[in-house]
Formats: sequence, C-alpha cells, structure tokens
Amino acid sequence: MPAYILGRLAAAIPTLLLVSVFIFLLVHLAPGDPALLIAGDNASPAQVDQIRERLHLDQSLPAQFVIWFSNAIQLDLGASVYSGKPVTVLIAQRIEPTFMLAAYTMVLTVLVAIPLGTIAAWRANGLVDRTIMAFSVAGFSVPVFVTSYLLVYLFAVKLRWFPVQGYKPLSDGIGATLVSLTLPSIALMLVFAALIARVTRAAVLEVLQENFVRTLKAKGMSTGRILVLHVLKTAGVPIVTVIGIGFAALIGGVVVTESVFNIPGIGRLTVDAIVRRDYPVVQGIILFFSVTLILINLMVDLSYALFDPRVRG
Amino acid sequence: MIIVCFHVKYVTLRVLSIRNFGEKSDLFVEDAKGCVFWEDKLKKSALLLTAALATAAAPAFADDSVLRLRMNGDINSVDPISTTNYTIRNASYLIYDVLFALDENFEVQPQMAESVEVSEDDLVYTITLRDGLTFHDGSPVTAEDAVASLTRWGKVDGLGKIMFSKMESIAATDDKTLVITMAEPWAQVLPAIGKISSNIPVIMPKRLAEQDPGDPVIEPIGSGPFRLLVDEWVPGSIAPYEKFEGYVPRDEPASMAAGGKLANFDRIEIVNIPDTSTAIDALLTGEIDWMEEVPADMLPLFEGQDEAVAEPALQSGNSLQLVVNHLNPPFDDPKIRHALQLALEQEPFMQSMNGDNTELYEICGAVFFCNTPFESDVNTDRVLTRDVEAAKALLEEAGYDGTPVHIMHVTDIAGQDAAYSVLKPMLEEAGFVVDEQIADWATVSTRRASKEPVADGGWNVFFTGWGYVDQINPMTNVYVAGACEDGWFGWACSEELQELRERFAATNDPEEQKALAIRMQEITHDLVPYVPLGQVYPSQGLSTDLEGYIESPVPFFWNVSRAEN
Repeated sequence: MPAYILGRLAAAIPTLLLVSVFIFLLVHLAPGDPALLIAGDNASPAQVDQIRERLHLDQSLPAQFVIWFSNAIQLDLGASVYSGKPVTVLIAQRIEPTFMLAAYTMVLTVLVAIPLGTIAAWRANGLVDRTIMAFSVAGFSVPVFVTSYLLVYLFAVKLRWFPVQGYKPLSDGIGATLVSLTLPSIALMLVFAALIARVTRAAVLEVLQENFVRTLKAKGMSTGRILVLHVLKTAGVPIVTVIGIGFAALIGGVVVTESVFNIPGIGRLTVDAIVRRDYPVVQGIILFFSVTLILINLMVDLSYALFDPRVRG
Repeated sequence: MIIVCFHVKYVTLRVLSIRNFGEKSDLFVEDAKGCVFWEDKLKKSALLLTAALATAAAPAFADDSVLRLRMNGDINSVDPISTTNYTIRNASYLIYDVLFALDENFEVQPQMAESVEVSEDDLVYTITLRDGLTFHDGSPVTAEDAVASLTRWGKVDGLGKIMFSKMESIAATDDKTLVITMAEPWAQVLPAIGKISSNIPVIMPKRLAEQDPGDPVIEPIGSGPFRLLVDEWVPGSIAPYEKFEGYVPRDEPASMAAGGKLANFDRIEIVNIPDTSTAIDALLTGEIDWMEEVPADMLPLFEGQDEAVAEPALQSGNSLQLVVNHLNPPFDDPKIRHALQLALEQEPFMQSMNGDNTELYEICGAVFFCNTPFESDVNTDRVLTRDVEAAKALLEEAGYDGTPVHIMHVTDIAGQDAAYSVLKPMLEEAGFVVDEQIADWATVSTRRASKEPVADGGWNVFFTGWGYVDQINPMTNVYVAGACEDGWFGWACSEELQELRERFAATNDPEEQKALAIRMQEITHDLVPYVPLGQVYPSQGLSTDLEGYIESPVPFFWNVSRAEN
C-alpha cells in the first residue's frame, strides 16, 4: 500500500508541471494588463511602465515563467501585485472558510442523500421513489443563487434565525461558525444531495438484484439490516466517487454561493484575481487546486479498499 | 414512511427518522411524538450541536460598537499614492492624515498644519505642524516625513507634478517646519496639497515615503484617526481598523475633510460583499451600517423599511462620459467628432442607467458639472440637442467613408453595459458604421492605453465616469488639459487649452478664473475630447441609527456615531 501511494504521488508531478505551464500561458495570454489596473485612471504612461518593470511584465513570457517556476518549487508563490501579501498567506486565509463550507455541506448532503437514495431504490418505481427523484431533479435544476436568495429572504430577513452574510471563523466558536454557514450549506446541499441521491439509488438498485440479497431475505433478515449493513456497503464505490468529486467541486467551485453569502472562500479569491489579472495569485491558486484535486482523488481511490475487498489485494 | 422531526428550538437537526424500516434497531429510540432518532453518543452529540447552534443564533448579529461599511470596491492596497482607485482613497482617509483639507465651502483649511505663512511675493510657504501628531508605529510626525511624502506624491499626482515643476525647493528647516519655495508665483499650492481626491497627499513616515511611487507601500503607517489591523486584514473580504488612541483631533467641529476628526467607534470594518442584493439585505437587517452605492433598480427594497434608508448622495455626483480617441479614424476628423455629438443625447443614456428615478440624474452639458462655481451653458447646443439629420449632413461633408466605430462593450459593469446598448443604435441611426465587441473592464482599461490603430489593438471610444470633485476643478479635470500625447486617454490636443490652464493656475481672482473656465468649456466642446452624457447622483444606503454622518464627495467615517436608543 505505501508503495502504491508513493507511486500515485509521483505520477502527479508531470501532471502538475503540465498544469502550471498551461495555466501560466492561459493567464498571460488573456488580454488585460495588471499594471494599468493597479495604476488607476489618472496614471501616466511612465508610472505604468514603472509598475510593469517591477512586476517583471516587461520581460519575455519564457523568462517570466522561469522566474515564477523556480520560485514556486521553493514554495514561494510570489505576492499579490495589489496588496503585496504573499500568495501562500492569501490562500491560507481562505482555506478555513472553504474547508468548513465544503465539510458542512458534505455532512448535510450525506445525511440527506444517502437515506433518500436508498429508500428510493428500495421502493423503486413506487410513489416514494418518484417523489424523491422529482425533488432531486428540482434540487439539481434550480440555480443555486435562486435557492440562496429564497433561503436568505425567509430565514435571515424575515425570521432572523441566521445572518444574511459573512463567515465567523472557528476562533469565534464552532457554534458561530456553523450558524454563519448553515444557509449556504443548505443551498449547496440541495444541489449535491440531488446528484448523490440519484447515484445512490442507481447503485443500491443494482445491488438489490444480486443473489446474496435474496439469500439474506430468505434467511429472514430484516429489510433495514439488509439495506444498511449489506447493500449500502456493497454499493459504496460509486457513491464515494461522487462524494469525492462533489467535495473537490466544493473547494473553489462554488463562487456564486460564496458571493451571495459573502463567504471569503478560495473560489472568490480566484475570480477576484482573474478579474484583476493578479497573475501570481491566479497561478498560485490553480497550483493549489491541482494538488488538492490529486490528493482528493488519491483518498477516494484508497477508500475503495474499505468497500471492495478486491481492491485491497 | 419517513417522518421529518423538526424541533423549532433546535433549528434543524433531529432530522430524519425511519419508521417501519424493519424491526427497531437498538440504534434508534422513539420519543413521545413518535419521532425516532439516533440513540447513544450520536444523539447526544447531535443535541449538543443543536444547542450550540441555538445559543449562537439567539443574539442579534450586529455589534453596536463596530461600524461596518460596504464600499464599491475592495481594499486591496494601502497606498493611495500608487493608485488613483477611489475605494483605496476612501479607506486611506481612515489611516492617513493630510496637511491641509477642504471644508464644506470647498475652502482649504489647515489639518495637520498649525499654520501657514505666505511671503509677500507669493513664493515662499512656511508651514508649521501642530503638536501631538503621532504615527501608528508610535514615532512622532516630523517635517521631514511631510517633505518626503509630498515629494513622492509630486511624482505621480497630476496637480502635484505641475506644482513640483514650478517649485524651486521643498525642505524641512526643523522638526515642525517645512518651507516650500516656488520658482514663480503659483496660486494652486495650498489647493494642491489640500486636494480631497486622488491622489490625496497623505503623510507617511519618511522611510516609507522614500519608496518609489510605482512600488506600493505595503506597511500601512499613517497618523490618521484609525489604524489598519494588518494581521486581520483579508484582501477581498475584510479590512478591520481600530481607533488610534494616539490621535489628537483638531478643536474645530468637523467640516467635510477639515476640522476635528472624532473617532466615535472603537472598530471599523470595511466588508467586501460582492453581491449587491446581499449587501442590501445585510443593511436592512443591521449587519452592516453603510453602503456606498445602491443601484437605482434596487431602491424599492428600501420602501417601508425602518432599519435603513437609501438617499441620493448629492455631493457625490458622478457622471457618464464617452471618451473619444483623436488619433484613430474616423474621430481624427473634427467634423466627424461634431457629428458624434449630434448623434447622441443624454436622456436615453440616463434612463438606461437609472430607470424612472429622475431625481438620480441631471441633464448637464457643463464641462465643470452643473451646480458648481464654474457651471456654464456656453457652446452646449451640439452636446445637448440630438439632430440626426445634421449629423448625417456633417458626415457627408466630412466625406465619411464608413470606417467602423469600434465599440468595446463592457458587460461586467451594469451601468456601462446598459449605456453601450443605447450607444450602438444611436450611432447607426445617425449614419455611423459600428463594430461592436464584447469585453470586460480589465480588457478595456488596458486597451484604452493603446495609441495604435484599431486593427492593432487600439480603440475609438469608451465610457467612463469621473466624479464631481475631480471634474469641478479646471486643474484636475482631464478633459480640459489639451495635453496631446502626454494627456489622458484620447489624447486631444489644444495649445490654447494648455495655455488657459497655466493662466488659471496663476491667478487667485475668482472672476478671472470663472472667465477662463468658460473659455475652456467653449474650446473643449469644439475639440470633443469626450461627450458628456449626464450627471448622476447615486444613492447611498445608511443605517437609520447613525447620526453625524458627513455629507461629502468622499465618504468620511469620523464624527459619525450610533444614536442612543
């Protein structure tokens, strides 16, 4: 197993290299000059040239790449061309809200989606199944900003149970953090629960056709025990895969939710940096995303071993 | 079947119970209402969690001792010299102090300065600093700091550069005295170092002010009434400030940028809420206290609300302007520029941005804005009255060959997006050929700096919106510079304008200044560096429990306090 993990990590290196070259080109070839954006409306050409020189933007693209890459392998991702804060610090500031939002959403999603999907499969093609699936199609289809605004209107503006916006860090207490994240997590949960419920239903339905299920029933085991202890465990691989993909999407892919609820997550940092052409930040985040995605995939792969003994061999 | 048990007090959690799901496992227990839930440790931790949620949710979300603000942009820099960005300018007034400042009559008053003496020949300005000025790092403010700060400002600011070009020397003669010696009399010295808008001549420690202005200062050390808490500052999210205990305010009452700056809040947070609708909800529920701009289409959300009001910020006037590039065809021909003026009129543009809220805008052809000392209606006929036939006739007379007008349609700024949609049909109706490209603001702000032909990345026209404070003053209004290739984007060229500006700067006589300003307007509307498309008064959102908020073209957050209930 350790050799397997090491092998997987080593295989990630060429991927990261390719990703960094690609991102560097994409970011730098897009029109828009950060020097002009930094200088502001009233700046003279000489001022803009000075800024360009300071940011090495006057050098050739390959030369800029070499400067950036040689720093990046020493874990120096540079500093934001606006605030001057190191990119590593900017990302670190955003990890907690991003991770907490992703984790809270996933916990809610799993709590809702897996039972619903299992029940839908168990009662396949019946009224319960169709109702659950109708809800999941609705959850998946309604844009997240619509549900977000509705949730805010009802629970924050009218009932005042939760704040409209903002994130309370863990240093304010876990209770405050969870309160500040409840509405965004529910909004996101509705989308992801729909997806995971459908995958769970399909996976469970397939396992329910297996001979061993019939045997268990014949031996007189209760439906609940069969579903929870045997069927779900066997159907786990595709479900965990989708949860893994969902978690990766939640890290950085939820800009709209982060914007509507004003959660200072990595997704917003990315979009802000792109809009301002803050090259070091964009490059640093993409590198961070790539590493995170590779790690999540690795963890998903490793978790297969829990569900499928064949993988363990 | 499924029963969802919902316990109001605990908000959400005792969620899902499963009944008739085989026999009861020892994991589940049933309560009096028939709801089944997790027993054991799971249940206890769930209850603890819900209790924690309920306690945290109980109190109001606002904290009275903190003032929370939402500006139009993000605080992503602490150096108002390295950028002219208005959001950075606004936030810089918290951190930094200035030698002189404008009062509500737009007159220059001493702020950090105790006094100023001007020699009889109007050449030597001796400025004495007042007692008790301290930087946020604890060091005293000296005249040397002021000299270094003004020198850095003089390298970038438009007015500052002119001032330094006419200066013989600037020096500190002792800790509290600086002497500015001009090479020739120049009436704008105090208005320049007392200017209210970008770049504001803020005073920072000499060691920071010696940094090149193109290299932004990242250590925010000022001597203003609030101190940035650098460790808590998350660019893109929040910039927290705390009251600087070492600040000694002036004795005079606050008057716009001048007078005593009384910090009535221990903490100010500038929160970057990207979504406007969310920001309004936050204002209406008391989570924030002030937002810089409420879009016209969202004003109805404030009707019948008692937490907050949205009111036109009359002094914060803004504008819509179409900037014209004089280097590229077809607008390198003055007649075709006049046809452009005739092809447009202000009302449709203002309606596209403001809807039916006519109190939010004003039709105005004055180069130095309406309701201002230099307002004039001279030579505004072509600017204010649309005449399609006359435009067509001018195009024909000029031999317009159908060279397309290249429009960079900005879609990521709502007001501009609407205005571009109005621009295209108006131009086409008057006989122009239009080539429209979709772009974001970052692209346009880069491309507008290009002096190349359109095919090589140049441009013809773009929208911008200079603010009131910058436009009312002939010394800072970029359109009356006539500075050719050294000027602002568009590079309109007029030696007479350059000369008029010199004469304006040299005189203190209000009547002479007014006459010069009117002549500037006359030339400007013939030259067409831009077409004015209306003066706008955006609404700001203000919590109703605030009092003492200063009406000003630049928002200030001293003097304001929370009313006792």
